[in-house]
Amino acid sequence: MPLPVLDVKNLVLWYRTRKGPVHAVDDISFALEAGQTIALVGESGSGKTSTANSILRLLPKNVLRYEGEVVFDGQDVMEFDNEEFRKVVRWRGISMVFQGAMNALNPTTRVGSQVAEPLIVHYDIDRREAADQAIEALGKVGLSGDIARRYPHELSGGMKQRVVIAMSLILKPKVVILDEPTSALDVMTQTNIINLLKDLKNTEHLSYIFITHDLGLASELADLVGIVYAGQLVEVGPAEGVFVRPKHPYTGKLLASVPRLRSEAAPDFIPGVPPDLTDPPPGCRFHLRCPVSFEKCGWSAPEFIEQVKLLQISEETKDKVPAIEAMKAKDTQTLLIKPVANGTIAEFAQRLTSFIAQDQETYRFLKSVESVQSKAKVVEVKLHEAMPPPLIGADWRASCWLLEAGGS
Amino acid sequence: MLGFLILLAVFVPILAPYNVVQAWNDPGAWTNNPKLAAPEWSEIFSGKHLPRTILLASNGEPGGFDKVRISFNVSGQTYTIVVLRKSFSFQFDTFPSEIKLFMTAVFGNATGTQIRVFWDRPDGQEIHLFDGNPSVRAPYENTYSLTGPSFKDPSYAVYSSVRDWLIAKNVTNQTEWASLYPTSGGIYQNPPQTQTMLMGRLNRTILDPETAEVLKGNYSFRIEFSGFTPTDDANARAVVYGTVFGLAGTDYEGRDLLVALLWGAPVALAFGVAGALASVLIQTILGAISGWYGGFIDEFVQRTADFYLIIPTLPILILLGILYHLGILLILFVLVVFGVVGATTKVVRSIVLQVKEEQFIEAARSYGASRSRILFRYILPRVMPYTFALIALTVPAFIFLEASLSFLGLGDPSLPTWGHILGDAYTQGALFASRAYPTGLWWWVFFPAAGIIFTTVAFALLGYAFDKVLNPRLREQ
Ligand SMILES: Nc1ncnc2c1ncn2[C@@H]1O[C@H](COP(=O)(O)OP(=O)(O)OP(=O)(O)O)[C@@H](O)[C@H]1O
Ligand code: SF4
Ligand SMILES: [Mg+2]
Repeated sequence: MPLPVLDVKNLVLWYRTRKGPVHAVDDISFALEAGQTIALVGESGSGKTSTANSILRLLPKNVLRYEGEVVFDGQDVMEFDNEEFRKVVRWRGISMVFQGAMNALNPTTRVGSQVAEPLIVHYDIDRREAADQAIEALGKVGLSGDIARRYPHELSGGMKQRVVIAMSLILKPKVVILDEPTSALDVMTQTNIINLLKDLKNTEHLSYIFITHDLGLASELADLVGIVYAGQLVEVGPAEGVFVRPKHPYTGKLLASVPRLRSEAAPDFIPGVPPDLTDPPPGCRFHLRCPVSFEKCGWSAPEFIEQVKLLQISEETKDKVPAIEAMKAKDTQTLLIKPVANGTIAEFAQRLTSFIAQDQETYRFLKSVESVQSKAKVVEVKLHEAMPPPLIGADWRASCWLLEAGGS
Repeated sequence: MLGFLILLAVFVPILAPYNVVQAWNDPGAWTNNPKLAAPEWSEIFSGKHLPRTILLASNGEPGGFDKVRISFNVSGQTYTIVVLRKSFSFQFDTFPSEIKLFMTAVFGNATGTQIRVFWDRPDGQEIHLFDGNPSVRAPYENTYSLTGPSFKDPSYAVYSSVRDWLIAKNVTNQTEWASLYPTSGGIYQNPPQTQTMLMGRLNRTILDPETAEVLKGNYSFRIEFSGFTPTDDANARAVVYGTVFGLAGTDYEGRDLLVALLWGAPVALAFGVAGALASVLIQTILGAISGWYGGFIDEFVQRTADFYLIIPTLPILILLGILYHLGILLILFVLVVFGVVGATTKVVRSIVLQVKEEQFIEAARSYGASRSRILFRYILPRVMPYTFALIALTVPAFIFLEASLSFLGLGDPSLPTWGHILGDAYTQGALFASRAYPTGLWWWVFFPAAGIIFTTVAFALLGYAFDKVLNPRLREQ
């Protein structure tokens, strides 16, 4: 097995905010061989850009935790000091096409000198020569040399994107991070850019980290796919596999949510919202939205209470739920329920147990109940222990408790 | 507008050389100009042909006085007689403001040396104006005013000559004269205007300046000098001062306000532009550094700016002006020193804080551009357009400051700036209407004020134009 050109191990990047730490990158690992492309796919806010930034050490001021290993070309560049990192990694080793290339160009400088700027910064070469190389790089991305004399606002979105790609290639890096390189473009231009990227990959021997939320584009370009959910890689594996037979329920939901032309079936959707990264859910981070969640997925007492309240509010379901006066979390996995005073506690516990047994396939959080015990005035409900699922598998890994159970 | 100002600024030093300005504070340099004269073109309002100044040059100069000198000896006593004569044509509709005779004389013995001055009118009348003894020797001039607007002493020779002449011609009599021109405590309450009498038609209207009619035609001076040594000699020149002058009129010293107006433009431009450029650029760079580097530097610059913002610059300048009489360069320097940080620093800092978050700055960081490179190559060029607009809008502030200081008499005393002229006009009460100037000395105030307004508006418009050009929405198109 060839040595990977980039091996990211247990990368962590937390931001400090007033609401608390944002776990934007929370233990992400993946390896990329020379010439391969990994697509990082995930919802908005899942931490894709943060992952890219932490690989290039582009950190904002409010970094709280930044650790892990980034082995590039056999060296752990996390150990480098800033100057060494700048010299070896930035642009010479790994370059980046930023999200929203429209704004990644300096509006007051001619395109040519911007493309040449990394050359000047790194090699302090003659302006004339830098300009020639810039024109060459523009040629590689299919732009004519006279574009060099224009200002960014004189270019179309697709042209700007090409300029930014030319700029990322100018120092001949091994790895290029493409952060949603086509998201602001129309479909035809998107296709052109993707084709360009494919060609460049072969002629320039590049490895891509291709960040997108568009599964279609990812499947066009990627050898590997990494599915990012709430700051973590929930599934990473070969594109043919992941797209055809996803292991993780989230990946499955993502694939089902892609609209298909002329298909009768309405695209599926994922209920709920992506979790708040300042306080990621315990256990599996996807369990609140997972269609197949079960005992081990990690419901906590406060979440349980929240779900019960939702059922009580809804017109359809309020009659199913046994009458409850109050609920209170005792600790993360234990809650106390005080019934409305009619009948004994034991009777209430009975009603509760049967409700759980009856409806747990529909309201999957009910599966998390381990035991129901009657106390003096209340019923104590114990939930299963919350444990994050490990990444299971070797070349194709996914983190879902189902996989453990199924032994796949 | 601005183009005109710049053209003016370039051409003025060529048209009106600096030595004219140097002469500004030398009253002797302006004796040939009428005082407080309105601009020549203002006569279109009155519909009359108003008198220009007529210079009668001395003998020896082209068109100057004619001169005959004889020196002869009688019984061992030398007599030297000089006769000077010059006539001029006067065709204006109103009377001159003043008539002055300037004489140089070379004489050995002062006693007995005498000049006799005669005034010949177009109607053949001759008035013997006065006899006198020259009091200073050449090259200094003896000055004789024939109209003595500032004299109120009835014993002033020309008054008596005119009065006696009018009485001799039966135009008036002693009693009437005394009642028309009463005296109190030995001075005239309202002295006779001799120029109307010297140049008016000889009839009863001549007694009242309101009704007197100008007698047009050729007038002449005749001067007889007699001395007692062979080297005695005399020369004369005269000025018949008009009531209008040049394009912009004159001030109380007879100074041509056009010079000051024209010179005011380059001075105001240079002062305003230099001041605005220096202070805004310094403030911009400090503001950018403050916003870009942040931390302690930011804190330091911003707190200093807060401090500077509450320093009352104008009062301090007034104080310094009173204590030291600053020249214009020092004033500029003090203003710039008190403007190294200020509002612009804060504006620029906030722009930088915004630009800092833009993607292309992040991109520059990512390919390893150094912090100072990003500041100078990426951030400052982004801020510069705003800076230019700010410079244009700050220029008027500097011009106003200079004008205010000059107005208060604390500006550079050697330079005739617009503010300086306004200050002079104010202290001389230019805006009060008087009998002689029923509309006040409007030109004295109007032109420098218009100059200031014109310049400041020009720069304000330039600033707004910049603003428009730089408005991102307009620029994208
Ligand atoms: N500097 C920061 N300080 C605090 N929180 C941040 C910072 N940068 C990003 N975040 C938060 O971290 C999370 C991950 O952001 P990131 O930009 O990596 O998401 P993303 O996957 O790239 O999303 P998108 O598809 O919208 O670009 C988000 O919740 C975001 O609000
Ligand atoms: S562990 Fe698997 S089944 Fe459980 S919630 Fe997570 S994704 Fe769903
Ligand atoms: Mg992103």
